[in-house]
Amino acid sequence: MRRRALLCLGAAAVLSAALPVAGPAAELGECAVPPEMLDLPARLRYLAQAIRDKAPARIIVIGGSSTRGAAAGPVENAYPHRLQLALQALFPDVPITVINQGMPRQTARQMLERFPADTSAEHPVLVVWEVGISDAVRGIDLGEFATTLQAGIDLAKDRAFDILLVDMQFSRRAAMVIDFERYLNAIHRIGGLNDVYVFPRFAIMRHWSEENMFNFDDVAEGERARLAAKVYDCIGRTLAEAIRNAVR
Amino acid sequence: MPDPSTQRDLRLDFFRGVSLIFIFIDHIPYNILSYFTLQSATFFDAAEVFIFISGYTAALVYGRRLAAKGAIYATAQVLRRAWQLYVAHIFLFVLFVAQVSYTAATFKNPMYNEEMRVADFLDEPHVAVVKALLLQFQPAFLDILPMYIVVLLIFPAVLIGLRVHWLLVLVPSAALYLVTQILDLSVPAYPEGHQWYFNPLAWQFLFVSGAVLAHLNAQRISFPRLLRIAVPIAAVIFVAALVVRISWTIHGLWEPVPPLLLKQLWPAEKDNLSPYRLIPFFALVLLVAVLVRPNARFLASRAARPLVIAGQQSLEIFCLGILLSALGHVIISEYGHGLPLKLAVNAAGIAIMLLAAKGLDWYKALDQRPAQQPAIARGRADGAAE
Repeated sequence: MRRRALLCLGAAAVLSAALPVAGPAAELGECAVPPEMLDLPARLRYLAQAIRDKAPARIIVIGGSSTRGAAAGPVENAYPHRLQLALQALFPDVPITVINQGMPRQTARQMLERFPADTSAEHPVLVVWEVGISDAVRGIDLGEFATTLQAGIDLAKDRAFDILLVDMQFSRRAAMVIDFERYLNAIHRIGGLNDVYVFPRFAIMRHWSEENMFNFDDVAEGERARLAAKVYDCIGRTLAEAIRNAVR
Repeated sequence: MPDPSTQRDLRLDFFRGVSLIFIFIDHIPYNILSYFTLQSATFFDAAEVFIFISGYTAALVYGRRLAAKGAIYATAQVLRRAWQLYVAHIFLFVLFVAQVSYTAATFKNPMYNEEMRVADFLDEPHVAVVKALLLQFQPAFLDILPMYIVVLLIFPAVLIGLRVHWLLVLVPSAALYLVTQILDLSVPAYPEGHQWYFNPLAWQFLFVSGAVLAHLNAQRISFPRLLRIAVPIAAVIFVAALVVRISWTIHGLWEPVPPLLLKQLWPAEKDNLSPYRLIPFFALVLLVAVLVRPNARFLASRAARPLVIAGQQSLEIFCLGILLSALGHVIISEYGHGLPLKLAVNAAGIAIMLLAAKGLDWYKALDQRPAQQPAIARGRADGAAE
C-alpha cells in the first residue's frame, strides 16, 4: 500500500517536474494535498476587499498549542508566521500581517472569552480560529461546543470581519486515544450551516501521514522539532492556498 | 398460538444482537460501515435499542423470579447481575488504561505533547483508579455500563412497583425524565467539569419503559383503540425523522443535497436522551411491535440464528465488541488505511463476536445439563438470556 503511494508520488513528482503545471498541487510541492480539500464555496469578502485595495490586512489567528507552535521552537516556525510568508509571496503588493494569538490548552469557550479583547485593538479583516483539540481531549459537552462555535461566528459577523475555522491536527497515536470524530463533525457542521470555511487540517495531515510524508516514529529526538517546523510550514502554505481560493 | 409469557420472544434477541453489532461498528472511529448503521439514518442509535431491550428482558426474567421466589431472592439476583456488569466495567477500564498509558509512553510527536497532557489521569493514577471504581471516571466508550449498573440498582424497586400497578412505576420515571430535560440536570463525573455521558437520570426512563412494556405484554394488558390511532402517527414521525436524518448523512457526503432542518434540530443530545432521539425511537418500537410478529419466519431462520444467540449473550458480547472495536481501531491506524483492510477488520470483529456467542451458548447449555435440578437449570438459562 505504502509502496504504491510512494510510486504515485514519484510519478506525480516526475510529471510536475516535466510539465509546467499550474495549480495548487504543483505549487505546494512536498505539501501537496488533493485539490478538493482546498476547494471552498465560502468567500472571504473583507480580506478580498483589502487585497483589491492593496490596503494593509491584519489576520489574527486564535488557537491553542498548535497555533502557538512551541513544538517547532521559535514562533517564526509556527504555522501563522508561515502563513504570513506564503500570503506575502502570493500577494506581494499587499501588506499582510498575521498575528499569532495561540494559547496552550484552551477550550473553545476560553478562546471565545478572549475574542473581543484579541480582535478589538487590531482591527483584523480575518480571524482564523483554530479550535477543537482541547474540547475533544477533555470531552466537553458537544452541544456546548457547538453553541460556542456559533457564538464566535456570530461575533465575527457583528464586528464585520471574516472568519474561518481550522480543525484539529492529526496524529495517529493521538487519534487512537482521543475521540475526535464527534468534534470534527461538529466543527464542519457549524461551518457548513454558516457558510464559513473550515480548513480541514485533520484530513490534510492524515493524508500526509498516510502518504508517509512526515513520520515522527522514525526520527531521532533532536530532529523532531525540525520535522514539526516542516509540518507547520506546510500547513501555513496550504492554508494560504485555501485563502487564495477564497479571495479570487 | 404459544403462550407469550413462557415462549421466548426472538424479536428481543434478534434486535439486541443487531444492536450489539452496530455498537461495535459505530465504536471504530471514521468507520465506513457506520453509514449503514442506525446512527446515520435515525436520530437515535444502537444504544437506545440495547438499553430498551435490556429493560424489557430484565422485567421478564426477574419478574418471573419475583413471582416464583419472592422479592428478596429477585433483588439478590438483580444485584448479582449489577455486580457482573461492574466487574466487566473494571475489566474494560484496565484495558483502556493499558492502551492509553502505552500510547502516552511511546508518543514521539512533539506537536501533540502539550495537548496530550490533558490526559490528567496519567498524572494522578491513584485518583483515577478510585474514581473508576466509583464509576466516576468514564473515558470514551466506557460510559454505557456505569449507567446500566445504576439503573439495575434501582430495578428491584421497579419490579416491586410493577406488582402493584404499572403506572406507579412509569409515572415517576417519566417525571424524572421530564425534570431532567427541563432543568437540564446532569450527574458530575471525573475529571472536574465532566458529566456522565449517559445521564442515568434521563436514560432510566428508556430502561423502565422497556420493563413496563414487558409487564403489560405479560399481563395481556393492551390498548387496541389507542394503538389504532398511535400506529399511523408513529409511522409519520418515524418516516419524517428518517428523511431528515438521512438528508444530513447524504449532505455530509455530497454537498448539493440540503440538510433538512439541520439548524433547528442539531445536535440531538445523547447524554440527556433528548426527546428528538426518544420520540422517533418509541415510534420505531411501536412499528416493529406491530409489523414484526414474534413468530415471524425470518427470526427462526438459520441466517438470523447467530444474531439471536449474540443477543442472548448480550453482556459478554457487548464487552467483547467494545474490546474488538478498540483493537480494530489500533490495527487500522497502525497498519494502513485501505478500504480492504477496514472491511476485513469489520468482518473479523463481527465474526469473532458471533462465534464467541455461539461458543458461550454451547458452553452454558452443557454447563447446566449435569445439574439435574430443573429449577436451578431454568434459572441459569434465564440468567444467560437476560
